[in-house]
Amino acid sequence: MLKKFKNYIQSYCSLSASCPIGVFFSVFTLGIVFWGAFNTSLELTNNETFCISCHEMKVNVYKEYKETVHYSNRTGVRATCPDCHVPKEWVHMVLRKIGATNELFHKFIGSVDTPEKFENKRLELAEHVWAGMKATDSRECRNCHAFDSMSLDAQKKTSQSAHKRAIKAKRTCIDCHMGVAHKIAKDFDKDLKLHDGFKRDKRPCADCHKNMQQGEGW
Amino acid sequence: MEYKGGERRGRKQWGRLFRYCVMHPTLTISVFLTAGLIFWGSVNWGMDMTNSESFCISCHEMEQNVYQEYKNTVHYSNRTGVRAICPDCHVPKEWGPMVIRKVSATNELFHKIFGSVDTPEKFEAKRLKLAEHVWETMKNNDSHECRNCHAFNSMELGKQKKTSQAAHRRAVKLKRTCIDCHMGVAHKIAKDFDKDLKLHDGFKRNKRPCADCHKNMQQGEGW
Repeated sequence: MLKKFKNYIQSYCSLSASCPIGVFFSVFTLGIVFWGAFNTSLELTNNETFCISCHEMKVNVYKEYKETVHYSNRTGVRATCPDCHVPKEWVHMVLRKIGATNELFHKFIGSVDTPEKFENKRLELAEHVWAGMKATDSRECRNCHAFDSMSLDAQKKTSQSAHKRAIKAKRTCIDCHMGVAHKIAKDFDKDLKLHDGFKRDKRPCADCHKNMQQGEGW
Repeated sequence: MEYKGGERRGRKQWGRLFRYCVMHPTLTISVFLTAGLIFWGSVNWGMDMTNSESFCISCHEMEQNVYQEYKNTVHYSNRTGVRAICPDCHVPKEWGPMVIRKVSATNELFHKIFGSVDTPEKFEAKRLKLAEHVWETMKNNDSHECRNCHAFNSMELGKQKKTSQAAHRRAVKLKRTCIDCHMGVAHKIAKDFDKDLKLHDGFKRNKRPCADCHKNMQQGEGW
């Protein structure tokens, strides 16, 4: 097999003696095609249809997200799964895609293949996402939302003061906006550490307990 | 004679290179494959470079006119901090149409060199014509660039003002496109816009409230 391939390559290259430019040009084109195909296939895995082709996504997080402002809102500007969960920059995007092979593995062994299993793992999975967002200063949030483009005056009083505080204290989006697009796990903040912090910052309870996406028992 | 000798030597060197390539097929193929990869990467990278606000406003024609106006609009600054920059509205996202738009932009380069709109006065004089080009394109592609961000599917009419709700319902029913109504949403409207009142007559027939444009949209002088 390998020998056959080598023979093929060699005969291809002996062609280059008679028609060098043609051969070089075709290999050059092959490079272009390869690069194009690589990026196209990455893009094929970067859309909602691909994400919800797994029922784990479709029956849990996707269903919840459909009730939120990121799915439907006044201006009709929607954020789809990869907008929040896959980086836009090429290198970070490829790294995330490689990281997703772990998700394929868990799909294969059925780690969260029932709603019950999913609920049991919800907090752990959410904490992974939150940790990722915290580490990148909520980079994917900021691909769309930027303080530079935000007119605080157009916001509610509580949001205005929260954002002013956030800018001053150099907080990042996910510090407050947890559960903005999916249910919060029932066992979230069981030790009340986060809630103690919220109280210290005088964050109004209604920030989460009325306006955000609500889980059962929330 | 010397020149001819040089040419022969040159040919000999090319021949040597070819022979080297034949002797080392794997290396040759990898080099050309990589060259292809780099070429394609840089074509797309170059396209991306010219698809940024800083590139657009590197021409003072853009920076001093349309950009200044746009900075006062909701597409620049709003409640949620989601901004649309120049190429979001004016360059298609799909590769084919994007390349076509880039190629036709060479006409804009020509007019830049020619100085067609290099003073605010010249720009005002041409504003209507330029705007009409953009409106025509948007009408022809069913406001494709608007719809890259805004979609009726994702729109909650219940959250809109009563007049917007009614207008959007009417638009969905009549299969209107965004630019049929949202002219001048990001830039000033030319003073000589709709001088023959054809559009306004249509608005009146559709009972479109005057305030749709005369209060909420970006306003030109004498608007």
